[in-house]
Amino acid sequence: MTYRLQRFPTPLATSAFAARTLAVVLALLTAGAALALTGSSPLSLAREVVTDTFGSAFALEDLALLVSPLILTGLSVSVALRIGAWNIGAEGQFNAGSLAAAGIGLFVPGPPFVILSLMLAAGIGGGVLWMAAPALARAYAGVSEIITTLLLNFVAGLLVYWLATGPWLAPGGRAIGTTARIVVDIPELWDEVHWGLPAAILLCVTLSALLRFTRWGYEIRVCGSNPQAARYAGMPVRRHLITVMLLSGGIAGVAGMVEVAGTVHHLQGGISNNFGYLGIMVAVLARRSTLGVLASALFMAVLLNSGIILSTRGVDVSVVLAVTGLVLLYTAIGDEIAHYRIVRGAALSARAAEAAPKEYPPNELAE
Amino acid sequence: MDLATGLLHTAVLAGGVPALAALGEVLAERVGVINLGVEGLMALGALSAVVAVVATSNPYLGLLAALGVGLALGLVFAFVTVQIRANQVLCGLALTLLGTGLAAALGKPYSGTPVPALFGPVPLPYLSRIPVLGPAFFAQNILVYVIYLVLPVGLHYLLFRTRHGLHLRAVGENPAAADAAGIPVQRLRFCYVAVGAALAAVAGAYLTLCFVPSWSEGVVGGRGWIAVALVIFAGYRPINAVAGALLFGTTTALGFLGQARNWPVAAPVLSMLPYLATLLLLIVPVAASPAMRRRMAAPAALGLAYFRDER
Amino acid sequence: MTAGTSPLDPSPPAHPLPARLGQPPPAPQVQPPLVQLRGITKTFPGVIACRAVDLEVGRGEIHALLGENGAGKSTLMNILTGIYQPDAGEIHIDGVRRHFAAPKDAMAAGIGMVHQHFKLVASFTVAENIHLGWEHTPARIRARDLAARTRRLADSLGLAVRPDARIDELSTGEQQRVEILRVLARRARVLILDEPTAVLSPSDAQELFKTLKAFVAHGNAVILISHKLDEVLKVADRISVLRGGRRVATEKALDSSASGLARLMVGHDLVSGANLRGAARVNGAGLATHPVAAAHAVPVLELRDIVVIDSTGRTRLDRVSLKLHGGEILGIAGVTGNGQKELSQVVSGMLPVSAGAVMLGGKDFSRRSARDFAAFGLGHIPEDRLQSGLAAALSVIDNSALREYARPPISRKGWYRPAKARVLAQSIAVAAAVSVADFAMPVANLSGGNQQRIVARREMRIATRVLVAAYPSRGLDVGAIETMMRYFVQLRDDGVGVILISEELDELRNIADRIAVMCQGAIMGVLDPATASIADFGLALAGQRHGATAPLEAPAPQRPRD
Repeated sequence: MTYRLQRFPTPLATSAFAARTLAVVLALLTAGAALALTGSSPLSLAREVVTDTFGSAFALEDLALLVSPLILTGLSVSVALRIGAWNIGAEGQFNAGSLAAAGIGLFVPGPPFVILSLMLAAGIGGGVLWMAAPALARAYAGVSEIITTLLLNFVAGLLVYWLATGPWLAPGGRAIGTTARIVVDIPELWDEVHWGLPAAILLCVTLSALLRFTRWGYEIRVCGSNPQAARYAGMPVRRHLITVMLLSGGIAGVAGMVEVAGTVHHLQGGISNNFGYLGIMVAVLARRSTLGVLASALFMAVLLNSGIILSTRGVDVSVVLAVTGLVLLYTAIGDEIAHYRIVRGAALSARAAEAAPKEYPPNELAE
Repeated sequence: MDLATGLLHTAVLAGGVPALAALGEVLAERVGVINLGVEGLMALGALSAVVAVVATSNPYLGLLAALGVGLALGLVFAFVTVQIRANQVLCGLALTLLGTGLAAALGKPYSGTPVPALFGPVPLPYLSRIPVLGPAFFAQNILVYVIYLVLPVGLHYLLFRTRHGLHLRAVGENPAAADAAGIPVQRLRFCYVAVGAALAAVAGAYLTLCFVPSWSEGVVGGRGWIAVALVIFAGYRPINAVAGALLFGTTTALGFLGQARNWPVAAPVLSMLPYLATLLLLIVPVAASPAMRRRMAAPAALGLAYFRDER
Repeated sequence: MTAGTSPLDPSPPAHPLPARLGQPPPAPQVQPPLVQLRGITKTFPGVIACRAVDLEVGRGEIHALLGENGAGKSTLMNILTGIYQPDAGEIHIDGVRRHFAAPKDAMAAGIGMVHQHFKLVASFTVAENIHLGWEHTPARIRARDLAARTRRLADSLGLAVRPDARIDELSTGEQQRVEILRVLARRARVLILDEPTAVLSPSDAQELFKTLKAFVAHGNAVILISHKLDEVLKVADRISVLRGGRRVATEKALDSSASGLARLMVGHDLVSGANLRGAARVNGAGLATHPVAAAHAVPVLELRDIVVIDSTGRTRLDRVSLKLHGGEILGIAGVTGNGQKELSQVVSGMLPVSAGAVMLGGKDFSRRSARDFAAFGLGHIPEDRLQSGLAAALSVIDNSALREYARPPISRKGWYRPAKARVLAQSIAVAAAVSVADFAMPVANLSGGNQQRIVARREMRIATRVLVAAYPSRGLDVGAIETMMRYFVQLRDDGVGVILISEELDELRNIADRIAVMCQGAIMGVLDPATASIADFGLALAGQRHGATAPLEAPAPQRPRD
């Protein structure tokens, strides 16, 4: 009885999960090994990271402040993946949302509740606006959204930088390079942690339910899985594509608004802080599951927090970015390997297995 | 130099960065593999060049260092995407994150250090005397000549006028057909993905040795993504890609000009020009004419892994 | 191996020379067979494709491989051409054992294959495709030189091609010629053809057989994979039958009969020869003979002068007019690629027309969406289920609900209820006789045949007025095809209008009340299977407009063929 490896069209759920866990572990081990090579002791660093991350109430607050933008950007990318689009522009939409919200917060007077609502609307609007051109170009001209959303990231980053250090600069704030403090805050839930976190969790749960239990959600899932079959069933594929892409942009915009109104309270260059790009990581780790974004965002937050902690110990914060890349790489490899199963020499039944399309939205750039 | 010449000169110099990276990416995508790790490769190439030149004061060794780094990473990327057949988009993004992060972390000691030896200008004998265009195009350093003249023409010839090029393109269009014709699909993919990555890394070296010229975190500034966008805009053709890069270089040069001349537009806004220009280049031609779409279409098997044994 | 000693080789021993007195006759001189496969076994996930298959093909022989879908014919040939590696067994060419690690090894050994799905690069020209991977291609190429060389090659082998045309601009018949030319140019001695006549008109098929006979006359061999019994009996010298991955018999064509071969292929007597038009009576259901078409005054579906022009400017449907009444089966015959796909998309509302009108129940539906068509009661079994009919990554439940998800009980006031969808999925699976282990698993995990059955059932559920079935028997074994045909008859008897698009003329002649023949995007004629002869069909398939057409056909001028 000989054994060999055979590739199957879809991986077993357990294999996929095991592959991912292994990917994360291996990435951390690789990072640890690299750190060891540069002279730091990975084990002691790890111990410090764990105690600093979970050790105190302050530490948990820091973690919570990282989790909410990651949930939102992760959700943004995840929702776009459902319809078959890669939202690489969450970073730019985040900035656009912060910018719009800050604009309201800095210059529009009024009672807090009204201002906060306006800021929320502005945040959504900013994100939607930033996604508009890429969404339409994809829907009507088949232009890949990967590059178009990405290019706009740079534009948004520059725009925020310019506003924060130029027209909107705080008086006498040449040195700080940021705007004045925005008067209205998102109310705090507990110490520094604000209502943005439960709101983000709620949004995630709601979206997950919408996708599973509404007609609209069913149509979105079909459109994302096979647009041709969706058309055949009479679904308005193009309309759904645009809607969901804009929704994705809007969610990332909300992330920006929450960050500006809840955590930072100023508009400054770099406010997006790579949350948009890390959101891609979060969505990819969560795979097809919207609810999985929550766990994935928590993991990413821990990773990010570790980076910050390590930077105080002399390890460069860019290492986190590199480790994220490593996790993504190993995950991609693991996902592919999970398709293989060990098979005995003689097969069991006489069915013909046919090749299935790949799990992720298509690699090809043009539709 | 007068205004027009100066502008063009900077445009050519600036455009060389995404041009070289785009040429490499054209090769990779023509064999059907999309490499989104160009940005990370450029960062590592840029840094290794600076490290090598600071250590040896020889710019050619800087190029070599970048080439080596790019080739090594390219082979790894090729192994993961072509042999293991992991998702190409994800692996490319991973490579970008890894490359950018690693370069930023390792480059700290070199941040801002001026590069001791650069590539000096090599004016071409008669051509550099042509008014306006002469100094702009023909009084550049040797790498510019390679990037704008030697490589595009050479690659165009390779792709469209040789048997090898026919095989290469067939791999990207229909690997099953190429395989059935006896063409070594995996080997060609491996080879050109690695070469493309090497060119991307050398583009990074060009950036820090000819254009900036020093290393700092974020020096690549999205040029790797511009290069990927240029490949699409160029319809996967080398000469078009370089022409597009020149356009990008022109917008960059305009930005510099504006800052130098204190135009009423703020510096960050001027810096946005190249990205917005590239965005328009991507959307407008394709949206305007469906016939363009067909002619500039991507290789049919781009992004898809090839499994010979799959039913 | 000498002739006459192998149980596989029915050819007679070499003729002995007259014996000289006292001297033993010299040993008969025989060459080993050109191709010999011994004990080939190959498995894929969940299926044993080939089980210890032996095969011998001699020089000058046209050897046919018969078998149903999934019997292992294509797999066996893919092994012979080096695309797949066998799990066990040996390959001998000219008596020498060979191992083909890659297609080019097989090519070097003189094995060439023309696949069912051509291995041509769509965006390259004919000349470029011919020169792909060819040793005679120069290192430096110019389009003019390639074209000239291609023309010379084509002339020398007697195959007409256009060197500068892009492959995606050619008809399927032309593409096949390019494929054959490509293979012959590489000095193949064994030419393997996989279902070559599936995409050819009868006259093109005759041309092909002439070419093949000329080829083997030079001492080469041809292996013909087919499931068309009568064709195989006409053309082949010997026939091997595969069933369930095994070789069950090898016979000389002269000694075989269609029914004998069919029995070997299926393992029991085929019923499909029976005229299913009378099946309702045979079933004893007590149903009357089928209702007369004219009983329904208004056609349930009507196409009026439909013109469809695609994005490259080619006319896919050319002034097509058809009427379908409830209670009849209208067959659409024709070589694949003559507009049938566009026709099925137009009648199901998926493709907007450039001119003309689509009428359902007397109302103009030309501007309506596919959903409106479905709401009217039109079901559509698509030609390519994985591309159009199923969302591969979604569950069996979600896929079963694809047509009914917007209606109660599955959907109420915008809510989608997975529990109710599951009930629907289960009932469809039961009706389709498909056993599903886990309804939540991706539908891609089901076999092709099971997927097809589920899609068919799903569509038949909503087909209360019209059912459009495009190549519904693809991927199904004979038993399942029979069942499906009986369903169609049932629907017909219940008053539904059925459009059946098929490339099997026999299938249509068995079951359809009228058959429209398509060629080059136009209807050549609507024939009555009871009265029209094979010759009438053949002419129509080849592009000749049928004289005795139904009154609704407007006479059109003869168009020269490409």
